[in-house]
Amino acid sequence: MNRRDFIRSSALTGGGFMLSFHITAHPALVAETETETAALGDFLQISPSGEVLFQFVKHEMGQGISTSMAQIISEELCADWEKVKVVFPLADMKKYQNDRNGGHDTGGSCTIIYQWDLLRKAGATARQMLVHAAAAQWKVAVGDCYAEKHYVIHRPSSRRLSFGELANVAARQPVPTDVTLKDQKTFDLIGKPKAARLIPAMVTGALQYGLDVQVPGMLYAVIARCPVFKGKLKRFDATQAMKVKGVKKVFTTKPIAGLQTETPFMPHDIREGVVVVADSFWAAKQGREALKIEWDEGVNAHASSEDFEKLAARRAQQRTAPTGYVGDENAVADISRVRKTLRASYVFPHQLHACMEPLNCTARVTPDGCEVWMGSQAPNLIVTEIQRVFHFREEQVKVHLFPSGGGFGRRYYPDMAIEAVFIARETGTMPVKMIWTREDDHQHNLAHLFQHMEYQAALDKDNNLYAWCEKEIRTYTWGAKYANPELPAMAYNIPNVRYDFEDMIPDELVHSSAWRGVVGHGRFFSECFVDEIAAELKVDPYTFRMALLKEEKDVYVGGEHPVSGSRLRKVLSLAAEKAGWGKTLEPGQGMGVAASPYGNSYCAVVAAVTVREGKLTIDKLTVAVDCGRVINPSGADNQIVGGLVWSLTALLYGGLPIKNGRALHTNFHQNKLMRMDECPPIEVHFIESRDERPWGIGEISSPLGVPAVLNAIFAATGKRIRKIPVTKEVLS
Amino acid sequence: MAQVQLNVNGKAYVVDADPQMPLLWALRDLIGLTGTKYGCGIAQCGACTVHLDGKATRSCSVPLSAVGSKAVTTIEGLSPDGRHPLQLAWQEEDVPQCGYCQSGQIMNAAAFLKQNPSPTDEEITRAMTGNLCRCGTYQRIHKAIRRSLTVKP
Repeated sequence: MNRRDFIRSSALTGGGFMLSFHITAHPALVAETETETAALGDFLQISPSGEVLFQFVKHEMGQGISTSMAQIISEELCADWEKVKVVFPLADMKKYQNDRNGGHDTGGSCTIIYQWDLLRKAGATARQMLVHAAAAQWKVAVGDCYAEKHYVIHRPSSRRLSFGELANVAARQPVPTDVTLKDQKTFDLIGKPKAARLIPAMVTGALQYGLDVQVPGMLYAVIARCPVFKGKLKRFDATQAMKVKGVKKVFTTKPIAGLQTETPFMPHDIREGVVVVADSFWAAKQGREALKIEWDEGVNAHASSEDFEKLAARRAQQRTAPTGYVGDENAVADISRVRKTLRASYVFPHQLHACMEPLNCTARVTPDGCEVWMGSQAPNLIVTEIQRVFHFREEQVKVHLFPSGGGFGRRYYPDMAIEAVFIARETGTMPVKMIWTREDDHQHNLAHLFQHMEYQAALDKDNNLYAWCEKEIRTYTWGAKYANPELPAMAYNIPNVRYDFEDMIPDELVHSSAWRGVVGHGRFFSECFVDEIAAELKVDPYTFRMALLKEEKDVYVGGEHPVSGSRLRKVLSLAAEKAGWGKTLEPGQGMGVAASPYGNSYCAVVAAVTVREGKLTIDKLTVAVDCGRVINPSGADNQIVGGLVWSLTALLYGGLPIKNGRALHTNFHQNKLMRMDECPPIEVHFIESRDERPWGIGEISSPLGVPAVLNAIFAATGKRIRKIPVTKEVLS
Repeated sequence: MAQVQLNVNGKAYVVDADPQMPLLWALRDLIGLTGTKYGCGIAQCGACTVHLDGKATRSCSVPLSAVGSKAVTTIEGLSPDGRHPLQLAWQEEDVPQCGYCQSGQIMNAAAFLKQNPSPTDEEITRAMTGNLCRCGTYQRIHKAIRRSLTVKP
């Protein structure tokens, strides 16, 4: 492998220094075929005041990654945590070269995995330069000096110089080619709970999100988008809208409607519509209400989610060729071996992201170029798409990055930037802030994909689980022909496993997209079907799972990591132990379990519920997680808890009902989210891992609340629910 | 359009606005106080909570014409130095994730604790149930409110 490590140091005009960084990622993480370099770009500044500015190039959307990344770099730097600040640089395609190890991209619970080695090396490099600077100043041997809590100390004489005092000298030091990382046993910041770095700004209202940006002379815009997917604008009359005080301009988005990205796995849905630009958001919104619009509602004019579900159920019965299989692909139908076949269909409907910060983007277009202000999970895509669609050169596109009030996969797509830049260009040279109202968010947004899961299981004459057959119908594939992984992501010891896949993209009612828990929550219904098999065999569901999971057995299902039977057993047994699995329960109470890998992390959830007179109460969730090394236990706990609340919202209120092509839910009074009074206590336990490196944490729990609670409902009532949301009608 | 006088965080402002404009947008777009957030526009999420004469109010659903001379307090004016016991407790309990709804949560909790300085757990839950958090920080919000009662600013 051709290593191209490259670190550059530059003195800053105000004193101190900045390290820029290109480095080969951990070889274990980089396939030979992939690019070998990754970049943190300008990643770290140390000023004479001693302040350390960590240039955070990923996207902070509540997953706490800016804090855990800062912890890693500060650990290796031996910095005083209180003196480390997180700053958000401009998007820069050259500095923050984009690939899976570096750059701006933030998604798939990957950041910590791929940044770990880079950040450690970066911190250690800066530390070593400071130590060398001190040794040079004192004219002593480098080996007698060490860094501790923002100082370099000369061991024999106990002399000390602060990082700030050393910053200017360090700036003139050559960049070391070989750095020594800290012994992990000496870590005193990694593994310690730290409050998120941005909290002081959050709790005083000082933190600026994209929606908060104020650019002098700024106008505001809202768009009336076609309420029906694939519909078109027939005609509009802006006479009344133009009479609203403050309304400046009304025009259509026809020129950008239907545009797609060049990146096939990130398709989006820019709908035809009418833009209203005004001097305030309020006037723009009033103007929109005064528009008279006629839509050509097109193929989906009479579409409904009910019909869509029926269509999916019919497709599920069709014979297809397997995407992947183990053993005999037709084992489930082998009557010479099979005594009994079980079959069940599960439905995970479309779901909204409902980020608390509604989508928005501010843009200004001048003859010199284009400037954009927004929070984005993929600033690289913003830059390239704006360039491509509006014919700019890369250096003409300036993207100011902000944290967001929730991303959940939705802010990976560049559509809002294309809308905003188009609006700004058509408006003139003034900056324009385009805002999606909450109604827009609910009525024509991207949504989590729809999934229909069709399961079959075959038991042989000795009641062994002989074959498992799973067919998935879904509405989004990330541009891939098949879903990944190509087999159910289970480590259960089943001799014959088959997975079939069919997409329903051409039949879509809305545009599907990534969500929190990227791979599609429906696939985790396998944990319900396992329960069904256990129930058929009259075996305790926990005992049944443990019997199917072999120690030290890794199962390859496709994708990057095999599924480890040992690690699943560990999270299962810890969750069961902490939840008191098997204890005597009152009538109407029940416990359910679900466990799964996500990437190379593992999670098990035990749900305790009470169902009385058709009313479901979720009493408690007990969770065990193995995510390798935990960087920030407080932040990690937040992610697991947050993912489960996310899951419970889908369970109780999820779905995107559509009739006559239109979303029936318009705002939070109809599309409900879980609130404090329904939120159960959630207790999280982390496995003491032998792993030296961290694995992802942001999404692993989010698909598991649904199967755990559905299994608990079955334990409490004997009722098997195979579709969400779990409404009162379903339970009574 | 009309000249509307507002008293926000102890300061007098005159804004030129449609009297039907909700207070939220006057605060954010005309006065530049963006700590108060837009979440739903229909008083369902609580992200826009401010105090009107000390009472927790959803600013997205109060037209300027209804504000009159009432004292408006936003998150920026909750304490002079950001050290209100709730703000400190929020930090100590590491409450926010994305943080977007949290100024509304804090403003709602602050008004509630003024009325009920020693609430039961159930009373805290009931008081906070009108505020949505998509990141699911409810457990920590509850803990932080409890903790704030013992925090010294």
